[in-house]
Amino acid sequence: MRDIEAPVVRLQHVGKVFDANGQAFQALDEVSFDIARGEMVAIMGPSGSGKSTLMNIIGLLDVPTSGSYLLDGEDVSELDRTRQAQVRNARIGFVFQNFNLLPRMTALANVALPLVYGRVSAREREERARAALAAVGLDTKAASLPNQLSGGQKQRVAIARALVTEPSLLLADEPTGALDTRTGSEILELFRRLNEDRGVTLVVITHDAEVGRQMDRVIGLRDGRLVPQILETYYGVVAGARVAA
Amino acid sequence: MLREQLAMAIDSLRANTFRSLLTMLGIIIGTGTLVAVLSLGNAVQGQVFEQFIDLGTRRIAVTAGDPSARGARDVPGYGLLSLDDAAVVRDLVERRPDLFRTTTVEVIVPLDIRAGGVGLRDSVVGTGPEYARIQSIRVAHGRFLTSSDETRRAPVAVLGGLIARDLYGADPAAQAAALGTTVQINGQAVEVVGILRAAGGPFSADRRVLVPVSTLRLRLNSELDVPGRGLRVNSILVGLVSEQLTDDAAAQIRTALRAVRGVPPEAIDDFEMSLPTEALGVLRGINGAITGFVALVAGISLLVGGIGIMNIMLVAVTERTREIGVRKALGATDRDILGQFVLEATAVSLIGGAIGVSGAIGLVLLVGTLSGIAAPIAWGAVIIALVFAAFVGIGFGSYPARRAALLLPVEALRYE
Repeated sequence: MRDIEAPVVRLQHVGKVFDANGQAFQALDEVSFDIARGEMVAIMGPSGSGKSTLMNIIGLLDVPTSGSYLLDGEDVSELDRTRQAQVRNARIGFVFQNFNLLPRMTALANVALPLVYGRVSAREREERARAALAAVGLDTKAASLPNQLSGGQKQRVAIARALVTEPSLLLADEPTGALDTRTGSEILELFRRLNEDRGVTLVVITHDAEVGRQMDRVIGLRDGRLVPQILETYYGVVAGARVAA
Repeated sequence: MLREQLAMAIDSLRANTFRSLLTMLGIIIGTGTLVAVLSLGNAVQGQVFEQFIDLGTRRIAVTAGDPSARGARDVPGYGLLSLDDAAVVRDLVERRPDLFRTTTVEVIVPLDIRAGGVGLRDSVVGTGPEYARIQSIRVAHGRFLTSSDETRRAPVAVLGGLIARDLYGADPAAQAAALGTTVQINGQAVEVVGILRAAGGPFSADRRVLVPVSTLRLRLNSELDVPGRGLRVNSILVGLVSEQLTDDAAAQIRTALRAVRGVPPEAIDDFEMSLPTEALGVLRGINGAITGFVALVAGISLLVGGIGIMNIMLVAVTERTREIGVRKALGATDRDILGQFVLEATAVSLIGGAIGVSGAIGLVLLVGTLSGIAAPIAWGAVIIALVFAAFVGIGFGSYPARRAALLLPVEALRYE
């Protein structure tokens, strides 16, 4: 099922049409690209460019109207809701702008939550959640509640939660958007380390040019279509800072 | 998975303890009412039935006719019973041992009773030795009245259990010591020869002082005659051989009494007879009506409780839309979410049921202790109450839970 040789993500002619007050609205049009295993990719574009829709499709929170989506070589564009949930659980780790930790659960319980839905035993859940917390440097905060943590720490817990099922893909939606610049770069540093040490594949949705610059590659989107050279054209910066650095 | 969901449910109830309790209120009241009323109802019913079976099912009581009844004749002293009537019944009883066992009368007068500085006003009952048998009375100390007491007009009295308690205290030794001492009844000294065991219940002799009829008439109070017919009696009690013979026995008594009292053939009886079968039927009917009413009240309460749960769960689903979105993003299936919310609603309902049932059990035990009536918990009602509570939770939790389960993750995540 999970084809290691295949690209993690392969979108082919993906289109998404919304019905807005009786009028069809083309949110995505003929979008095709691959994301290779171990790659760090930013999806960038201005508001309304369709990048949230694209993220939802990649994250299996939504299905394309046309075209196909292969995750780990498996066609996932027409799964039912239950299978979608199972694939999200096993292969995709979400990191949100606003962390989205459940407030009444400890950091450890938050990290372990995806394993609950993956029907992992309580004992193994605890072990794996602790390991994931250690990987983001928060092993001492296991018993803390989210409101006892700083913004950066919350995002680290969220990253641990995304990593705990060892997904094929880490999907981060504006992961530094709610953080100050310094904490933001610490989070980016953590992503880079996870990518280098563990080969984690990362897709970041952002409109922050600085975040885009630090990725291996930027996929630009405008009015639902792919645009090449988006950083240079629209943000006036040079891509590939990471490679250059 | 169930364990995790249960933990989540408990956790979310604890996060809103007060709200959860308010939500449970209908369920608490519903289940509590059911268990408390059925338990106490059973106890009271048991008590009453026991009394009836003890003293009532093989007995006919003849009491005075109602002068205001339709068809009552306008004659002086209409309806009153006297010793003459009792004598006729006694003749009948002696003639027909196949139907009757024994008979006696009750002459009831409220009088002042004093002993050792304690004063009471209670019923002094003139009766005979047969009273003990007909009423299934048990003597705790001393003896019951005898026929020799009657012929000698002996100034003796047998005290009901509660009278003895009031006069001498609850200590059995103190009560036993009172035998042979005197009490003042209407200012006259009367010797205590017996004390009855307290039987409890509304039909017992617990609050009575029993004396021979002749003593009551000649020594204690002499103004009780029905003009021209001898001493007025409140009731004539007749013990039957078997309750199967009730109808036949009643017909015989009726004929004899109508004859001696000169009731014209077309006139209605100028006395009343209470038959055990009627009373039992009435009691059963009342009990059935009470049970039905309680079931209705409890049912409405549970229904209202269920609507309360549905309401609060709908609020919870809205409040936690984002949480639901996050859970779905992390891999919760629709069924996981459905299960979580149904379980939460069921937990609310069951905890409410447990609180209601516990409260009711406490109440029943308390009432049992205070009243001295043995009140067994109606465990059947407990089980029914809890099962109902669970169904209410599942039933009324399903709709909100479905709404939660069918939320689209994309929209739920976007919800502020």
